[in-house]
Amino acid sequence: MPETPDVDVIVVGAGPAGACASIELARAGLQVVLLERGPFPGSKNMYGGVVYPRILDELIPNWWDEAPVQRWVTRRSTMVLTPTQALTVDFRSTAWGAPPYNGATAYRPDFDHWLASHAEAAGAQVLCSTTVVGLLRDANGRVVGVRTDRPDGDLRARLVIACDGVNSFVAKEAGLHPPVDAANYTLGVKETLALPKEVIDERFGVRGREGVDIEILGGTGGVNGGGFVYTNLDTIAIGAVLKLPKLAAQKRRPEEIIAGLKAHPAIAPLVEGAELKEYSAHVIPEAGLAMMPKLTGDGLLVAGDAAAMCLAAGIWLEGVNFAMASGMYAGRAAIDAIRAGDVSTAGLAGYERRLSETFVLRDHRKLKRAPHLVLSDRVQHVYPELITSVAERMFRVDNPEPKPGLRRIVTSERKRLGIRRRDLARDGLDGFRSFG
Amino acid sequence: MLAVIPVRDGALPAGATEAADECGRRALLVGHQVEHATTHLSGEVILCEVGEYRPGAWADALARALADEPIIVLPASPDGRDLGPRLAAALDRPFFAGATEITDRTVVVPRDGGRAMHTMPAPPRLVATLQVGIRGQEPAGDAATVTSMSLDLDPGGIPIADAHVERVLAPDAATIDLAEAGRIVGGGAGLRSADQFDRLAELGDRLGASVGATRVITDRGWVGHERQIGTTGVVVAPELYLAFGISGAVQHTSGLGHPDHVISVNVDAHCPMMQLADLGVVADANVVLDELLSLLSAQAATEGVRPDA
Amino acid sequence: MSATAPIAVCLKWTPARLDGGPLGPDAADDRFAGISPADRAALELALRLADRLGTTVTAITAGPAGAERALRDALAAGAERAVRLDMATDADSRDVAFELAQSLADAAIVLCGDYSLDRGSGSVPAFVAHHRRIAQALGLVDIDVDTATAATVHATRRLDGGRRELLAIPLPCVLSVEGSLATLRRAPLPRALASRSAHIDVVATPPAHHHGAPAIVTAYRPRARVMPAPAGEVVLDRLRRLTDAGTAPSRGETVVLEPPAAAARIVDALREWGYLP
Ligand SMILES: Cc1cc2nc3c(=O)[nH]c(=O)nc-3n(C[C@H](O)[C@H](O)[C@H](O)COP(=O)(O)OP(=O)(O)OC[C@H]3O[C@@H](n4cnc5c(N)ncnc54)[C@H](O)[C@@H]3O)c2cc1C
Ligand SMILES: Cc1cc2nc3c(=O)[nH]c(=O)nc-3n(C[C@H](O)[C@H](O)[C@H](O)COP(=O)(O)OP(=O)(O)OC[C@H]3O[C@@H](n4cnc5c(N)ncnc54)[C@H](O)[C@@H]3O)c2cc1C
Ligand SMILES: Nc1ncnc2c1ncn2[C@@H]1O[C@H](COP(=O)(O)O)[C@@H](O)[C@H]1O
Repeated sequence: MPETPDVDVIVVGAGPAGACASIELARAGLQVVLLERGPFPGSKNMYGGVVYPRILDELIPNWWDEAPVQRWVTRRSTMVLTPTQALTVDFRSTAWGAPPYNGATAYRPDFDHWLASHAEAAGAQVLCSTTVVGLLRDANGRVVGVRTDRPDGDLRARLVIACDGVNSFVAKEAGLHPPVDAANYTLGVKETLALPKEVIDERFGVRGREGVDIEILGGTGGVNGGGFVYTNLDTIAIGAVLKLPKLAAQKRRPEEIIAGLKAHPAIAPLVEGAELKEYSAHVIPEAGLAMMPKLTGDGLLVAGDAAAMCLAAGIWLEGVNFAMASGMYAGRAAIDAIRAGDVSTAGLAGYERRLSETFVLRDHRKLKRAPHLVLSDRVQHVYPELITSVAERMFRVDNPEPKPGLRRIVTSERKRLGIRRRDLARDGLDGFRSFG
Repeated sequence: MLAVIPVRDGALPAGATEAADECGRRALLVGHQVEHATTHLSGEVILCEVGEYRPGAWADALARALADEPIIVLPASPDGRDLGPRLAAALDRPFFAGATEITDRTVVVPRDGGRAMHTMPAPPRLVATLQVGIRGQEPAGDAATVTSMSLDLDPGGIPIADAHVERVLAPDAATIDLAEAGRIVGGGAGLRSADQFDRLAELGDRLGASVGATRVITDRGWVGHERQIGTTGVVVAPELYLAFGISGAVQHTSGLGHPDHVISVNVDAHCPMMQLADLGVVADANVVLDELLSLLSAQAATEGVRPDA
Repeated sequence: MSATAPIAVCLKWTPARLDGGPLGPDAADDRFAGISPADRAALELALRLADRLGTTVTAITAGPAGAERALRDALAAGAERAVRLDMATDADSRDVAFELAQSLADAAIVLCGDYSLDRGSGSVPAFVAHHRRIAQALGLVDIDVDTATAATVHATRRLDGGRRELLAIPLPCVLSVEGSLATLRRAPLPRALASRSAHIDVVATPPAHHHGAPAIVTAYRPRARVMPAPAGEVVLDRLRRLTDAGTAPSRGETVVLEPPAAAARIVDALREWGYLP
């Protein structure tokens, strides 16, 4: 005789995905247990630093009045670096500094904790310091619960939602993940540097709660990847996202690469004199669609980084919003399935449908080539120099020579750098297709 | 000011003379065979023979006898820490535990595990314990002027219940070893893991040093508490002390004696242990430990190779 | 006192260390607060003793609402009842002890940690024992109970010089234990889940009686030690000794070095001082 479930749904992992799934489920009156291995939600979670919380409008109206935000991103820059040059495209919007806001910097221990407290308020049971170490299945292989590391630690449910982050133990245990390929992951490393708020305001040209988000191409010293600089109230996050195989091949330590970034003439004045508060590192699922596991199994849904939902495509590094949305849709699909009494893969089909109709999978489909392109050797090691040297010649005053035309500069720089016209055209087209 | 010093079998507890000195050499010895305990004291000494250690009954009786003594100081020895708060409660006075300095104007107590010092105006009446080894003692003067006082334990009424001492155990091998060691390597919370603590023991082996630890480490169970150096651990007196990842809280350093040489490895250049050190090295103690071990074994290896062998 | 009287364990809710920097613990932030290793050991021992004596454990804390998390964890681990005396985190130890003693009037054994992390006075257990006029044994490193009579606790306490004493403590009593004495068991999952919504008795307390004097807070500096007057016939010798001139090692050198260089520097110093050949 099958054992009766203890609760309706078990959500594994109290990151943004797990918290949002739990909020939806608990509000629908279902019995939810949210299990988290850390001492409190968000305690061990790290990321770069910017949340794009638009999707929260659906879950927590006027979230901006209460969310633990450091600064509102009102300035977004993309920087292209060579060892001695920098070209920045800088965008500012005052509109982003007022409700409904576009993006915010926040600390994960604050943000995740806050989000999970909404799940708790809605009636979910949040249990921390509890690690899921196995899946319970019935005779047909259907997932019917989890095993935790506590004594007497089995818990049964109608449905399990895996929100346990990159390298999801649960999804792997359920056999949903294709074999791990290191090429699909990047390593994110970050330093948190303390500076007085006034100094940050002055160096980054912001006031009050305004903040800056800088994405960087180049500057990672031969290892394919990208960099970022974000402002919090009185700290700066500076870090890099690095292609794992390259890092290993070059035997470089990630700390060295951050050190190199901090020493770059365009970055050094921003971080000068700051005190190192924290160094952290985390793996990022980077290949997007190419590495997504099956998103549903019998009695099981996978959301957030556990399902490789993180979008890491050059000038975009978004994961929290994808995690929140996929968690929310997983919650909604679970509610439908439980009410209909069918939690098989077929009964849970509403999950993938919702993801396909919204930005979650549509952005991934649109940008499916982007990660590969952005991390390709030409984009990483050749184009930054092309772009900056073209800019240098455009801006250089070479009197008595007359000003050269753009086309001439591009052609001569291209030749100087040994880039074939064919490759440039193809990459341009690829770029247009990837981002267009 | 009056020092109240609990005495067992005619022996002064650790920190007794310091407490007496802090009080201008006025001390009351209470306990068993108190007259044998006067030899190391000078100044004014009051003897109070009451037999076996009984904190509850003593506190009650002392409170009646000492109601007019405004400032009472006990050494922060095990019995002082046990009797002090009970006496303060019986006198209904504020109690200052593990103070580093007590005058009739101010009391200084360490807080937050020895990271901060709180300096407070001394209330008119108080009881405090003085951290052992923090003050240093003045050279012995003339023999003490001794008077006696009798205390009435359990006068009428309901007797106060107390624990009964069944037996006193001699120090075990590890504590003796530590207390008598000329060289000690100590490990603190800066060490990453129990494994790393074992590596420290290896270094101890290489240097002919015993291994000690801070309370954070013994609390974690990485080593038995007989290896804990400090107020609530063993009081040691090495010539050489090597501190790895130790912040140097008073409760730790007050058990350290006065080593000739101190080396401290810590990521924080400004913690008290670094201030005490002859050589302070700002670096990750875990990595330095590994480097030291490989350096020492490399050197041992080259020394082992004799040209004529 | 009957063996069925409950065993009480006093848990002190302490804000985390204050040196965490912008990302680290903040005094007002409950996420980083908790109970000390000593209190956890006290809880574990309370559970073990209750098991041996066939009685139950009451967990009690004097603190703000946030402190209920400690009580829930105690319920999860096996405590039967949880009581919170509604008081401020920084309430004076005398007020705390008085209120605890009132609430624990029927406990056969009151278990405490030896010192709280922030205040570190180790006084609350002694104060509680005073108010109830019962035996105390503080800073224990081992505890056993006479199950036959259930009237005596046998315990080991440290003395100076590495000695220990064995105590026989009549019940009722107040015991405080060191953190290394026991490791708190892991709460079973069903209890852990049930504890999240379990009932907690909240008891109002009268306004604070005692107020600690305001303190000037500074970083820790060792106190200047009293130095015995130097011996010696010649004034200059005495002066030299006092000032350590000429004989003193170069106390106070601090160097920032990469680990390999640091190791080499340490070996050099040990050689120079004669500890290594
Ligand atoms: C360096 C770096 C920079 C980034 N920058 C950004 C950025 O600026 N903006 C952005 O939007 N995204 C960014 N991301 C991506 C973002 O961090 C993730 O996409 C996001 O955290 C995914 O959320 P999640 O809820 O799926 O998983 P997570 O946040 O990883 O949460 C998983 C949770 O599950 C818990 N858990 C794991 N295993 C178990 C288990 N077995 N039992 C119980 N609990 C378990 C974990 O403790 C954790 O709390 C960055 C990532 C990195 C590494
Ligand atoms: C009444 C009472 C009695 C006590 N009795 C004792 C006692 O007998 N003995 C005792 O030791 N303590 C005792 N304590 C505890 C004492 O107050 C301190 O908490 C303890 O000594 C601190 O130990 P620690 O230096 O290991 O840890 P911490 O104070 O946490 O210091 C750790 C140090 O390691 C450094 N560090 C961190 N990482 C690294 C790294 N990677 N490399 C190098 N350095 C690093 C930090 O900068 C810090 O200085 C007592 C406390 C009280 C209240
Ligand atoms: N507010 C409190 N609530 C419950 N127990 C306390 C409280 N304060 C102190 N205690 C207990 O007394 C022990 C010693 O604390 P202290 O006297 O503050 O050093 C602690 O380990 C607790 O067991």
